[in-house]
Amino acid sequence: MSTIDLVVTAIDDSVPGVRSLTLAHPDGTTLPSFTPGSHIVVQCGDVANAYSLTSDSVQPTQYDISVLELPDGKGGSRWIHNLTVGDPVSVLPPRSAFAPILRARKHLLVAAGIGVTPMISHLRAAKQWGRDTELLYVHRPGRGAHLDDIAALTDTARIFTNRADFLGVLPDTLAAQPFGAHLYICGPTTFIDDVVAAATAHGWPQSRIHFERFGVGALDPGEPFTVKLANSGTTIAVDSGVSLLEALEAAGHNIPNLCRQGVCGECRLTVSSGEIEHRDMYLTDADKAAGDAIMACVSRAASPELELKL
Amino acid sequence: MTASLVSAPDLIANFPFPFPTDQYRYSTNVEPARGPVPTPTGVWGEHIIDIDSEYEHELALREQILERDPSRYAVLPHMRVAAWDCMLTLMGEMAKAYPDTMSLTRTGDTWHWRNGRLGLSADFVLGDESTLPMEPLAYIGSQVQDDIVLLDQRDGDLFGDAGVVTFAADWSFGFDVGMTFLEIHGPVPRLRETGVITRAREFLMRLQPGEIYRRTNWTLTIGRRLDVSTELYHEWGPDRAMIQTVSDEEFGRLVHLRVELQHLIRLCESGAICFLIRTYMLPFVDLATVPEWRARAAAVLADLPEDMADYKGIISYRDRAVEWLTTH
Amino acid sequence: MGEQRQLEVSTHVKPALELTSVPPWTVSPTLPDADVTGATWTVIAIGPDAGPVVDTWTAQVTAAHPSAPVTVHRVDDVSSAVAALDADLTAASVGWRLMVAGPAHACLKVRAHAVRHEVADDEMTFASTEVDHRTVLCVHCGERNEAPVGIEDVLPCAGCARNLLVHYHVSRRQGAYLGYQVDAEQLVESA
Repeated sequence: MSTIDLVVTAIDDSVPGVRSLTLAHPDGTTLPSFTPGSHIVVQCGDVANAYSLTSDSVQPTQYDISVLELPDGKGGSRWIHNLTVGDPVSVLPPRSAFAPILRARKHLLVAAGIGVTPMISHLRAAKQWGRDTELLYVHRPGRGAHLDDIAALTDTARIFTNRADFLGVLPDTLAAQPFGAHLYICGPTTFIDDVVAAATAHGWPQSRIHFERFGVGALDPGEPFTVKLANSGTTIAVDSGVSLLEALEAAGHNIPNLCRQGVCGECRLTVSSGEIEHRDMYLTDADKAAGDAIMACVSRAASPELELKL
Repeated sequence: MTASLVSAPDLIANFPFPFPTDQYRYSTNVEPARGPVPTPTGVWGEHIIDIDSEYEHELALREQILERDPSRYAVLPHMRVAAWDCMLTLMGEMAKAYPDTMSLTRTGDTWHWRNGRLGLSADFVLGDESTLPMEPLAYIGSQVQDDIVLLDQRDGDLFGDAGVVTFAADWSFGFDVGMTFLEIHGPVPRLRETGVITRAREFLMRLQPGEIYRRTNWTLTIGRRLDVSTELYHEWGPDRAMIQTVSDEEFGRLVHLRVELQHLIRLCESGAICFLIRTYMLPFVDLATVPEWRARAAAVLADLPEDMADYKGIISYRDRAVEWLTTH
Repeated sequence: MGEQRQLEVSTHVKPALELTSVPPWTVSPTLPDADVTGATWTVIAIGPDAGPVVDTWTAQVTAAHPSAPVTVHRVDDVSSAVAALDADLTAASVGWRLMVAGPAHACLKVRAHAVRHEVADDEMTFASTEVDHRTVLCVHCGERNEAPVGIEDVLPCAGCARNLLVHYHVSRRQGAYLGYQVDAEQLVESA
């Protein structure tokens, strides 16, 4: 996981309770392109949070995100709301988990509150590629995010400032979509659940319903642990965010490896004691249950210490 | 003993010898792309798009094949964005790898592509078909030696919904268009049972925008014949019977180690996966001039299980191949 | 059309069906329950044996959704089925489901047509009343051969006369099995 070190180049606090940030390379170099609907994981002090990218996706020179102010959250939002222009921010490269379906003949976007952020990059791509798109956006009065962007990108958006109005049109909207349409939902969990339930009740098949729940996109960097090497008796520390493979390599050990993603089987090591947190796609269920093999590139210890036959 | 090579020097220097050990079995052998791999003769793997001395010949061959059989090329309607995405991405890779002859620049909405090797240029607007001489996948397909398959990720699966495949090793893109990744790989004994293909699919589905990985695949081909598609099996199939009757010298010149270097790219704009298949072939007579290659290829072929040799179509001449390599 | 004969095909083990592209319902007659998760339905019966299936399905849908629009077509052949499908698709909204009963080879052709119109897998249900006939697409000449053959049987191609092996490979968009020349390596062609 290679982090990208950026700086804050602009801050927009015009919408109450929402902070929009622009991040860029200190020297302005091009950032990795991304698929519409993608998010970046931002290191917010001790916490890592995922935020949808709202800016241009093709060879961009900046990444824009909008963050809801959560005074009682885990601290990520507070950290962001304390930033000033010029502050350094480290992010992981964009990850795509909510992409427009290529086969969709129409894209029905339904968002609530800060859940509108992934829809903005969808709207940008829709304009570039001439996609038939309709946005339904419900927000609390005075707290609509990206309303200017929406107005600039689409003529068919319907904006609601109270839930009753939104719920009034939702059933008819869901019942009357042309065959081939796909539905994309983003917002608080209960909002998503309600819209999914309504769509299902109107006969929408699961293959046409897509949603993104915030907070589950980030890769968990895992707890730190120590690893004892049985043959030499030495102990190595494996930090959070560092893989067992990386830690062993850093300590000078040459472990066979290839994909470094948990699929190919090359980096299998024998475990003589300790609990394993398997994160790979190579070992069988039986292998995993036996508890004596670990795929070093992705898996971790579930106990404070692991002993390897190495 | 000085051996005169059949192949041009760069084809040996850049040959991606596919056997890391003396035993070969199916595996999900993906690794990050771009890393150069030194070999006894040179190096391979630095570029995503590799252009060699066969460039013009193979492009002309592709054109002839498509003329004769247009079913080798398809872009299902919903893959239009992926086709543009693929073209732009591959142009970028070619410009990066061959800056002396290729360039891709941009002024505002207009992109400028120059392929100095072919004397081609295009000034195009992304998404505007009227600004290119032909459909984007066809355009880039006519400038790379790779076969290209674009996979659409939807419904928890991958669908082969676009491509240009003129150098298939015993499969039919025309028949397979629209099938899922698992379906395309069909009933390969041992391959499906051991979960290699399922893991490969899981891996592909987790690829993030811009990530590029690679893997190799191999077989033997009789004659330097790129198009060994199922469509033409009636033309090249008989060679497998013929090869058992030829002289020793002919055997070494006709039997080629065929390697597919595959690159797997998650395209950013469309989210589709671009599967590039670049085919390299080296005749046994050239392979034998490299002692490490000769010995390892003999070992791999000797050890290859019957079902794998059968599936690769080499079972009828495998023993002779081992003997030839061992005694030359 | 000539004989079909079983040829010995080298050292060969039959693949497990679920590891192939062959839908299980094309190998064994299958009658699934109606998909009652939709909002509107197109139900097509191809041939006389499909009638009772469609009756069962209609009853199941109506029991779950008493006032839901269910359009039933009883047809004799594939082209009528496809025409009915096309007509219903033009007016369809999301929530539409397709259910087709009939001989497996007919269902495969209707599925091919639906796939080309971007109908999703979870919007289609198929019941096969007969699995003895297959459409075999000759990969060499493109001819669509219709014959009472099993998978891994051999039949002569009506287009190019080659002996085709019916392969464990079904194309979604073609609605047919792949047929390739089974004895190419046993012939030594003279120049």
